[in-house]
Formats: sequence, C-alpha cells, structure tokens
Amino acid sequence: MNAPTPALVAQPERLHLVGQRRQILAVMHQRLMFGMLVFAGVVALIAFRIIYLAAFGDHAGRKIGITSLIPERGDIVDRDGQALARTIDAWSISLHPSKVIGDKLALARTLAKLIPEFDAPAYFAMLRSDKPFFYLRRRAAPDVVEAINALGEPGLAIDREPDRLYPQTTLAAHVLGYTDIDGHGTSGVERAFDKQLSDPALRGVPVTLSISSKVQQALEHELFGAMTEFSAIGAAGVVMDIHTGEVIAMTSLPSYNPNVPGKNTPDQMFNRATLGVYELGSTFKPFTVGMAMDSGVVKSMGQVYNCPQELHVYGHIVHDTHPFGRACTVSEIMMESSNIGIAQIADKLGRDRQKAFLKKMGFLDKVGIELRERGRTLTPGSRWGPFEVMNVGFGQGIAVTPLHLATGYATLFNGGIYRPATILKVDANHKVGPGQRVFTEDTSYKMRALLRLVVMKGTGKHADAPGYRVGGKTGTAQKVIDGHYSKTVNITSFAGVFPMDEPRYAMVMMLDAPHATADTYGFTTAGWNAAPAFARTVSRIAPMLGIRPDKKREANMAEVLPFVHEKSEK
Amino acid sequence: MSGHGFKSLFMAASVAGAALGCYLVSLNVASERAKLEGVEGRIVTTQNDIRLLQTEIGTRGRLAQLERWNAGFIRLSAPTADQFLEGGFQLATMVKPAPKAVIGAPVVLASAPVEQSVSRPAVTSDDQDAGVPRTAPAQAARPAPSAGDMLHVASYERPVAARAVAAVPTKPAAYKIVAMKGPKIASADALAPLPVAKPTAKAAPPGAPSTSGAATKKTKVSGQP
Repeated sequence: MNAPTPALVAQPERLHLVGQRRQILAVMHQRLMFGMLVFAGVVALIAFRIIYLAAFGDHAGRKIGITSLIPERGDIVDRDGQALARTIDAWSISLHPSKVIGDKLALARTLAKLIPEFDAPAYFAMLRSDKPFFYLRRRAAPDVVEAINALGEPGLAIDREPDRLYPQTTLAAHVLGYTDIDGHGTSGVERAFDKQLSDPALRGVPVTLSISSKVQQALEHELFGAMTEFSAIGAAGVVMDIHTGEVIAMTSLPSYNPNVPGKNTPDQMFNRATLGVYELGSTFKPFTVGMAMDSGVVKSMGQVYNCPQELHVYGHIVHDTHPFGRACTVSEIMMESSNIGIAQIADKLGRDRQKAFLKKMGFLDKVGIELRERGRTLTPGSRWGPFEVMNVGFGQGIAVTPLHLATGYATLFNGGIYRPATILKVDANHKVGPGQRVFTEDTSYKMRALLRLVVMKGTGKHADAPGYRVGGKTGTAQKVIDGHYSKTVNITSFAGVFPMDEPRYAMVMMLDAPHATADTYGFTTAGWNAAPAFARTVSRIAPMLGIRPDKKREANMAEVLPFVHEKSEK
Repeated sequence: MSGHGFKSLFMAASVAGAALGCYLVSLNVASERAKLEGVEGRIVTTQNDIRLLQTEIGTRGRLAQLERWNAGFIRLSAPTADQFLEGGFQLATMVKPAPKAVIGAPVVLASAPVEQSVSRPAVTSDDQDAGVPRTAPAQAARPAPSAGDMLHVASYERPVAARAVAAVPTKPAAYKIVAMKGPKIASADALAPLPVAKPTAKAAPPGAPSTSGAATKKTKVSGQP
C-alpha cells in the first residue's frame, strides 16, 4: 500500500523496478509473518507449559522419598510383635586425612582419648597416610559424636548410615543370625529371609517369627543356669508347639551378640540346635516303642520281655544301668530306660520298618525348618544291620539335631502327624500344613501315659514340674571324642511334652559334657542335670504359654500302672 | 463506537483476569499441597523418632537386663501350682473374713452435734448430774469412748430444755447411749476437737430452736450405734 504510485509517465525499466520492489516487499511480509508466527508459537508453547506445570506439575519444594516409613531392611519381630531386629540410622565417624587442617599430632592425641580403639601413634599414622578415608567408628554413641563434632575439624566426617540393631542382644541370636557390612544376612533368619527383608516392596512389613521372647528368655536363662551349674561346654534347647510345628523358643549356648558379630568365636556362632547332630540316646526309646505299637509288635503296655542282666546278641553285649534280671513289661522297660528291653523290641520291629518310620519322621534328612544352618544326620547307612537296628532303637548310632528330636516328639504326641518345624508364626498368611501321618492316633494316645510314667516313677523324676503333668524321657549318650565313645563324657538330654493329659508343647534340653556336682551325687546322667533344668523351665514357661497348673488332672495312667511291679520302684 | 472499540479491550482484560484467577487457584492448590506434604513429612519424621525411641527403650529394657535385675534384686520366681486357683469359689474357701475393726468411733465423732439431742431423753435423769455417770462408767470406757464423750457434753447443757423435748425421741438406742456416757471419760478423752466444738454449739441454744435442729440430725445418729 505504501508503495509509491508509479508515475503516470514512466520508463519501462522504472516500471519494471517498481514491480520488483513490490514483489520483494510481499516476500518480506511473508517472512515477517512467518517469523512472528514461530515466535508466537514458542511463546505460546512456553506459556502452556507454565500453565500445565502450575496446574499439574510438582512444585520446587517437593520432598521425595520420605512420605512413607520404609526401613532400609525389614524388621524382624517375635510372635507378640516385639522387635528382635531393626534397622536404624546410626552415627558413623570417619576420617579424611587430606582434609585435615589442624595440628595432626594434637588431633591424634585427642582422637586416642575419645575413641580408644587405637592409640595416638596409630591415629597419627592414619592422619599422615595417603589413603583418602578411614572409618573411625561405626554406630557411635551420641556423646562421642558430640565430642568429635565439637573439635570442628573438617577432616572428621560424621554421617548417618543405616545399621542393623538387635535390641535384645544375645536373645535368640542363633535364630536371628546377623548381617554383614553390606546389610545382607549371613546366618539365621537374616539369611533365610534375606530376599524378603531387603525387597523394597516387602520390607515394609516385618517378618513375624514364631519365637516368643519371654519363653525364649526363660529357656535361655534356665539352660544357661544348668550349663554353668554342671560346667557343660555347650547346651541347646527347643520349645515347640506340637500341633503347628511352630518353634516357640530355640537356643544354642554359648550364645553370641549379633550386634558385634566380628567379636564372636566360631564355637559361639555354632547353632547346636539345628546344625549340631548328636547321638541323643534314650530319648529315642519312645519312638521305638511307638513304632512297635503301630506295627503290632507291641500290643499292650503289659507285654512281657525277658530282661536278663546283660543281653548277648549278634556278637555284641547290651548293658543296662539298672538291670532287671527278670521278666519285665514294656511299661517297666520304658520307666527304667532298659536298653535290653528296647533292643528286643527293636529287633522284632526290624530294619525296614524302623527305617521307614524314621524316614517319615524326617530323621534321615536335614531337619525341616526355614533356616539354612541345618546339619546332616548321621545314620548307620549301608551298615544298617540287625545290631544297628537295636542300637538305633535306643538312640545310638544315629545322630540327629535337637530340633529333630523336638519334631519327633511333636509327631508322636500330636496325634501322630509329622509337620516340619517352622520359625514363622502360624496365622492367616502362614497356615499350618496338612502334615503326614506317621503314627496312629491310638498309639499317640497310649504313649502319653508311658512317658508320664517315666517322670512319675522312672528315670525322669526330677523333671516333674508339679501341676504341669510333664511327660518325657531322659537321654544320656556317650560322647564321641576322636572317633571313640568316651567312658566319662556324656551328652545328656531331656525330651518331654506337657501337659500330658492334653499335650500342647514339646521341649528338648540338651547339655554337652556336663560334670557331676555334689548335688548330683557324682552322676552325670540326664536324670540329674537335664531333667531338673527341664522342670524349672516348664514351671516358668507353661504359665506364659497359657497352661494352668492343676494337681488334680493327670494323664490316663490306667494304661500303664497295672504293669509296673512295685519292687522295681526305687 | 467507543464502546465497541473498548469491547476487545474488555474481552482481553476479562480473559487475562480469568487466566490470572485460574493461575492463582492452581497456585493456591499447589501451596496447600506443599503444606500437606510438609505435614506428611513431619509425621514420618515423628514416626521415625518414635521408632528410634521405642528401640532405645526396648534395648535398655531388654529381657536379659530385666532378668539380671530380677536375679539380683527383685527375686521374683515362677508361681507354683498351688498359687493358681480355679475361680472365685475356691478363692472364697481360702479367705476367712477378718472381724471388722471398731471403726465406728470416728463416724460417731463426725455427727457429734446430733448426739446431744439423742441423749436428751437421758438428760432427764441428768438433772442429778452425779447419778447418771455412776451407772455405767466402767462399760463406757472401752466400747465407744467418743460417743460417751459427746453424750456427756450434751447432757450437761440441756438439763432444762432437754426435758421438754424428752418425750419426742423415745428410742431405745438413745437410752443405751446415755448409759454409756461417762463424764469423767469425756474429760480424759484423747479426741480433742469434739469437746471444743460442743461448747460453742451448746452455748448458743438453750431453748427450743436448737433442739428442733438437733432432732432432725438425731435420727441419723441413732442408727449408728
């Protein structure tokens, strides 16, 4: 429009020029328009983006990751919800020698005073070294952290890092296990459930164990008391719910503190309850009798066997500690823990049936539990001849873990159904397995009276906790030292069930190499050390487990009492 | 024309205003959300603190520690079978109710002013001051010294007025009380406050009004002995 109007009279070249200019102008307009559109588009894009961000975007001050409380590693709690293992933020103190600005010698002296793990020369050497980083202390106490902070030395760094804490220290240490420096489980539940404990999706929910801290504490205390009293080198104990297979308490002594795993000896770390296998002796006898009753070998508690002073069989001699020297009934055999009697019952039972029963009870395999520390059982294997059958019948020549034994007693007294032990609490998320029938219900019922008899009148008298109807069996086995049975060193155990009129819990206590004391009149047999400890423990834990003592209730003793000759009672 | 010319301006302004409003709303929402997140964050931090403290308490009060204290100082042991009872009935068989202690005395004391009127019937005989106490001074000493005390004071004041009211409360209980009272005991009584209180009460009412007031209270007292 603004273009100059051509002169009315114009030269053709001029006219041509004007046309050119118009053309150029038009192009320029086009370009300008295009540029403007692009510019407007960019502005609009930015504006839309801003509006969008204002409406739906995150704001600058948003904090990510602390909107929920998920620990670095899942908690482990006991059946009542008590924390057994937790991950907390702990203070760590570290040293960066290159960043130190103060007097190094003075600093070394101060450090030696504050953190006495090293002396001043060692700290001085650290301060002068070329290494970029030293941990001075992990999981430092607040007062030390405060003192270090007060030094104001930039070369000393104070950080928070997740740390695994076991509030109950040594309690159930072998069950819990511990973690390595990277926070992964290296033993116990920490190892068995490592995946679940470290998975971000699962670790918010604690792992609930079947362990009851109170019962565990009582068991550990009483067992430790017995271990100290009889100067034993080790001990193990298991408490188990016979109907669900839940391990209510399990301990191995000497114990260790999982908070400082580095300071513990291999002996402390060794889990005697699940990893150690022992010939547990006479505690096996109830199994043999149970198998014999199920197989029809023993038809009544009054069945009579010939019990001489000693039994010569298959080129060996079987001895008794209290030989009868007469005919004796099954009840008496069990009551006095007669090897001679049981050997004959086992002989009648035979190898195949014995093996089949032991297999069904899980005694020939590693013990059934979630933990990874499981010992391989020792059996006669290919040399399982007729004499070995007798031997196994009274608990020799076969080495199993104390947890095996507890599982076996649970099987024998819960109505005859084998269920593997579990360390997790049985609830809606973790149901009881159907189990596998091993003994008939009738056998299971009749065995009650038999084992109650052992405690009332037999070798296990000291295990009787008044009112709790304890039934059980002592076991004293010679310890194998350097491949030979020691004549003096024993492994004593007591395996029992309570309350016998309606069995609910099985407990096994084992002492490794106990010594005689004045109170035991020089005896080192189970009736004198493991049995009294058993009684003390039962009277402590049974009320916690909801069992009310009642002196008026009793198992059906009419099954066995008629077959006990009074004179055998001592 | 001018209106028409401004129309676009108005349009632009209203659009800008609406946009601004929307923006402000969204800004507001964002800031509220930020606050909410702040609160959530604080909740989490607090939960974390609680967890830490619980852990610390749990660690300090760990079972092994409690066990050690128990072994060292408290010395509690597991209950024996005989300490468990089958129920309330068995418990009842074991407990013999203890004979009730003579705690009536202080109660009587509290209602002391009433006693005077109760004693009134007795007061008739009180005319001869000496005679009444003689009847039962020895008995009074033991069973309820306080009661005797109060009665004594009452009898002293109302020789005349009491006689008039005497007919009203002819309760046997009242007579008993009278018998118990002993002037000597009253003076020797260790319960000091009552004797102090009485004189004031007595001093005021020599006539009928006081007696009527006393009579209303009296019913309560008569029940107690």
